[in-house]
Amino acid sequence: MKEKKNAIELEDVCIHYSIMNHTSIRKTFLHKKKRNEVFEAVKHVTFSVREGDILGIIGKNGSGKSTLLKSIAGVFSPNCGTIDLKGHSVSLMSLGVGFKDLLSGRENIILSGMLLGFSEQEIEAKSQAIIDFAEIGDFIDRPVRTYSSGMYSKLAFSITAMLETDIMLVDEVLSVGDEQFKQKSLNKMKELITDKKRTVIIVSHSISTLKELCDQVLWLHDGEIRMLGKTDEVLKQYAEYMAFTEMRQG
Amino acid sequence: MFFISIAMFFIAPLTTWRIHAMLRGKSIKDKKSIQIMVVYFILLNVVTFAVSSYRGIDMLKWNPFTTTMSYRIKYILFSTVLGTVIACVLCWYLNKGITVTEVKRYFGRFFHDMRKYFPYAVRSAKADLRAEVTNSFLDWLWWLIEPVCMMLIYTVMFGVVFDAAELYFPIFIFIGITMWSFFTRGVTSSVDMVRANRGVVTRIYLPKYILLVSKLMVNAFKMLVSFAVIAGMLVIFRVRITGSVLGLLPILLVLFLFTFGVGSILMHYGVYVNDLSYITGILLTMMMYLTGTFYDIAKRIPEPFGLLLERGNPVAFLIAEMRKVVLYEGTLDWKLLLLWGVISVLLIGIGVFTIYRNENSYVKVI
Repeated sequence: MKEKKNAIELEDVCIHYSIMNHTSIRKTFLHKKKRNEVFEAVKHVTFSVREGDILGIIGKNGSGKSTLLKSIAGVFSPNCGTIDLKGHSVSLMSLGVGFKDLLSGRENIILSGMLLGFSEQEIEAKSQAIIDFAEIGDFIDRPVRTYSSGMYSKLAFSITAMLETDIMLVDEVLSVGDEQFKQKSLNKMKELITDKKRTVIIVSHSISTLKELCDQVLWLHDGEIRMLGKTDEVLKQYAEYMAFTEMRQG
Repeated sequence: MFFISIAMFFIAPLTTWRIHAMLRGKSIKDKKSIQIMVVYFILLNVVTFAVSSYRGIDMLKWNPFTTTMSYRIKYILFSTVLGTVIACVLCWYLNKGITVTEVKRYFGRFFHDMRKYFPYAVRSAKADLRAEVTNSFLDWLWWLIEPVCMMLIYTVMFGVVFDAAELYFPIFIFIGITMWSFFTRGVTSSVDMVRANRGVVTRIYLPKYILLVSKLMVNAFKMLVSFAVIAGMLVIFRVRITGSVLGLLPILLVLFLFTFGVGSILMHYGVYVNDLSYITGILLTMMMYLTGTFYDIAKRIPEPFGLLLERGNPVAFLIAEMRKVVLYEGTLDWKLLLLWGVISVLLIGIGVFTIYRNENSYVKVI
């Protein structure tokens, strides 16, 4: 079999946050030289994902998973190191964000699509499919702020699922909606994933989801790679680790 | 005499050059130092010439050896102040480690991004307008009702109570309010722009100034609606209109560019400084009264400050020019308009540059 090309390559990526975030004018005058404390959310991470593969990322809260995903999506660039997507288009699916609250669902579909790099015509052609998949009925023409959180994420999922980008980044979205939509989105996910050209990175706390979907799992711990390898092995280690810390705390 | 005639060209560049070297701190190489000197020499003298030509000195017949002492002193003072300001601003940016290649790169990227994201900005502006229409009871009529009511209030207040009426006073006020509110809305919203669009900004990359462009388009559309009302009022008041009324197009263009320039700079600081909106609020209120939204600033404020304010405050200048070409059959002061246009473009340059350089960390702060 021919060796598959890499779709995503990360090399030595670090991402910092400055702790002193906001400032007011009074603060600026009173403490002139306050040094910005730097918090390293991701430390020297190197890995690559081959085209068509599914990588799961697991780790406890605050280990830098979402930060890493955001920087792969291009929301911000890393402070050091490089992220190479080989020219693929990329979209990030995450909980509860991405819409303009005052606009209707229909407008938000088009605007989100345009930001993902599609033309207006392409999106208009697919918008009916998106609306059907999201199952939110008449709400599509009402402002997004009137949506329930379930509808919100159903719409978000549908947009990314139907406007098919080369790389999909999924941040904890698979556990939203009612039982029926969850099953449907999981199926859709599988369908998208079976397409051998699409590369996916999934961030999740759910071991069962990752077990079902992923080829490879990356375990992030405090911004560093703790383990990277076959799904079963990593998940087994992770489960043991979690059980161990729980026991120690309990 | 001969000495001072030559010296007037050199004093300012030399001072600026020294300030530059001092502010940069580290020693600059000889060759580069001379280049900097030459650039300052040309820049300062050209600008000062342009200004004195604007002030009415005929450059073709002008001779440095026969000119008056007063002119020489003014020349030296003006170019020195100008040079100092330029050197300070330039060095402030240079000391942040900004290089020429970086500037060039961002310049190219600006045009590339503009082409790529412009359709988004347009679509987003349209969607915002449509949402405003569907969400409020009186729909788009508000875009007419609001400025008309404001006009009535101010016409009574300033026309009757303060006795500051002019010819065609309602239209006079209407033009002032319309243009001022375009500026002030743009600036106010820019301070909070990134935070207000958190949803979009945290999910996907887009050049942050595109948000401002989109917002300004919304405001520009509302301004055009107001101008349609003005056109109607011109008919009702039977104002005589000449061909110079076409000057309103470049005036509106410069107003747009200037608002974008100021807005893009404030947008950057608005991300980091929480209470910036108080300061801009105070400054804008002060500026509103110094802009002559409700009265003729050149007439009502004593000489020579009135005229200085009108020329030195771009919004006041644009409003005054607009009234002149639309209402009073005057001709456009295109030289000064061009100057403000150039300054606006420079402001946009600074703003866009700052945003490109820092937008990476915006998402982490909001």
